[in-house]
Amino acid sequence: MPLCDAEKTFVLHGVDANMRIDGREREDYRPMELETDVVSHAFGSARLRLANTDVLVAVKIEVDSPFPEKPFEGKLEFFVDCSANATPDFEGRGGENLAVELSNCLASAYRSNEALDLKKLCIMKGRKCWKLYVDILLLEVGGNLFDAVSIAVKSALYNTQIPKIKSIHVDGSQIDIQVCDDIFSCTRLDISGAPLMVTVCKIGEHCIVDPNAAEEQCSVGAVVVAVSRGCLSTVLQTGTGSFHPKTLKECLKLGFSVAQNLEDSLMETLGEIKPNQDVGFLK
Amino acid sequence: MPIDHKRINPPEDAVPYKLFTKLNTKSSQEQYQQILDKNQIRKDGRHASEHRKIYMKTGVIAHAKGSAYIEQGQTKIVASVFDPREIPNRLDYCLKGEVYCDFKFAPFSCPKRRLHQQDSQEKEYSSIMKKALEAAICRHEFPNFQVDVYVLVLHNAGSALSAAITAAGAALASAGIPMFDIITSSTLAIQGKDVLLDPDFEEETLSEIAIEKEHGIIVISVLATHDQISHFHQVGNLPLNVVSDSIDILHKSCKEIVPLVQKCVIRSVLAGISET
Amino acid sequence: MDTNNLLVCYPGQRLSLCDKVYNSGQGTYERQGYIYSNLAGLVDVVEKDGIKIIEVHSPGVQTIVPAQGDIVTAQVSIITQQFCKCYIKCIGDKVLSRHFRAILRREDIRATEKDKIDIYRSFRPGDIILARVLPITEAHTYQLSTAENELGVVIAHSEHGHPMVPISWTEMQCTKTYAKEPRKVAKVIPESVHEDFIVRLAGNVSEN
Repeated sequence: MPLCDAEKTFVLHGVDANMRIDGREREDYRPMELETDVVSHAFGSARLRLANTDVLVAVKIEVDSPFPEKPFEGKLEFFVDCSANATPDFEGRGGENLAVELSNCLASAYRSNEALDLKKLCIMKGRKCWKLYVDILLLEVGGNLFDAVSIAVKSALYNTQIPKIKSIHVDGSQIDIQVCDDIFSCTRLDISGAPLMVTVCKIGEHCIVDPNAAEEQCSVGAVVVAVSRGCLSTVLQTGTGSFHPKTLKECLKLGFSVAQNLEDSLMETLGEIKPNQDVGFLK
Repeated sequence: MPIDHKRINPPEDAVPYKLFTKLNTKSSQEQYQQILDKNQIRKDGRHASEHRKIYMKTGVIAHAKGSAYIEQGQTKIVASVFDPREIPNRLDYCLKGEVYCDFKFAPFSCPKRRLHQQDSQEKEYSSIMKKALEAAICRHEFPNFQVDVYVLVLHNAGSALSAAITAAGAALASAGIPMFDIITSSTLAIQGKDVLLDPDFEEETLSEIAIEKEHGIIVISVLATHDQISHFHQVGNLPLNVVSDSIDILHKSCKEIVPLVQKCVIRSVLAGISET
Repeated sequence: MDTNNLLVCYPGQRLSLCDKVYNSGQGTYERQGYIYSNLAGLVDVVEKDGIKIIEVHSPGVQTIVPAQGDIVTAQVSIITQQFCKCYIKCIGDKVLSRHFRAILRREDIRATEKDKIDIYRSFRPGDIILARVLPITEAHTYQLSTAENELGVVIAHSEHGHPMVPISWTEMQCTKTYAKEPRKVAKVIPESVHEDFIVRLAGNVSEN
């Protein structure tokens, strides 16, 4: 729904007065709902609902051979699926650009070994490694996708269990891998460095986080800031529009501090989730 | 990854032989130590904060409405811009014109052979270029139309994206596409405490790997007259203050390229006049 | 051409203050009280009623798109019961390097007896027509109109492929076979009265 000028002015004045149209302050998020372990066939999964945005992330693991130039590292790939259920705009190939943008952003946020140590995914140097497929399904789109997706991905990786290897037999070029029979003996990923993304929107003179659909329309530009371990892992602009260097620095600062708060509360929430819950989505 | 069956492809498990050369037996740590000496002088004799020399020329492709060729050190790129055309397969009317960017590495441009199809890095670069250029082009002047910008990297010796954006800006200006400003772009590679402006290929690849905790690559493009950053892109792992400082360094470096592009564009105008 | 006395500018160059005397014209934009250039090209100052309009023109073939009210030369490609599809080839006297698609609806063919128009009695595929561009609506393509005396078919070939000459407002005749074919014929103005024609057309625009 396009907004008219009067509505845009209303949103703008609200942001100026630090009282947004839904009653939040500039640095506030909307309420979120997080569940993990929702897909039984996946090695790890999570579902996040942020206001009207609904994201389901599942992690699948396969055995693969590592890249020849990186023999010590496993592989990580992101796939974003924009289902036409989410919004009619995604029908046909409509969601393709968004999907590419999201998966590129995730890939560059996770590119550094500081974010996720891919060396842990190596089974045997230069021969075998684990490959993580992170599939992201957008069930409903209500704005602020980057933030929602990054939180869901981090939670799904937190939830991911990698099978333990009992033994490896090497016979010439043949490699036999024996996986531990006990389904409960699994290793978990270290996700303390997994980046969280915060979209900072510039509206009028101020920057806000977690814009809703109306605010997204009023914004002149937005920056996605991905933060891991107190460092910026990726920054990129979404949409068009240019920034003054000073404004850009302010956006980065705001995104950075918000991401750190978000990280703390997410880790706290993830710690509280009890294993084997049988209530919730898809249960 | 889909494979083009009409072309002869190497065996799927073929790897570049360079992986087995002596250089590759060194760890990335050792490789990195050779890049910069104690006096902040790089392998090619440049200071860490020194930009490579740029050669630029417009009007290299006769068919295109506007085109530019750039040499930034060894990096060689051709950019071409075509007349606005109607946006294909579009039913609704859009007030602002669109910019289509196609960024392609030639198969022989990098140490590793590139495929003919666009890979994910090329797609990412295309979308970064699109965003950077959109802010510079007066899109309201050609509603319902699309401007095509094609970029081909002939030799990738680092900072290809920046050079491509600068070249595309000059090509757009020489094509007579209305623009708010001249657009220039610059890259910075960071590893630990070392900050390398306009990195070459080796410096760029080594800065993507975490040798030290702080590392990364920053690309920005600037509209100089209005002091605006039209696009900002960073990967790696960098603290906030380092990124803030880098913005200033890059902003300054981008402004230094502007006179060169201006000269180039003016030369293309004069060439156009003498033709008529 | 003497290139020494020319004012060449690049995009984003600040050209002058924007005030009561100096105004921003074609190829420039205004921002915070200044006029900046949009294009790489030559600066031109046009004086009109004491106001100086600053314009920038880029050399070479200009990128032009059809605008509302422009007279265009188009070729008919497909005709149906309701409309005919054409390709715009020229705008005014400027030849386009890339053709634009356009649609001419049945009710826009002539000004009178709009309900009795048959497209096949007005145009045939291959005809070259003069038409005016209608305001751009929600639809994606350009809409044309030939509902003026000066607009309509200017060049046509008969069924046997020979050129035809106009013999009335509604008919053209083949130069070889003398067969008559119906067309919505344009009253082509000779070159000598071209100036007048333009003034009259301009008058038509303001009436509309």
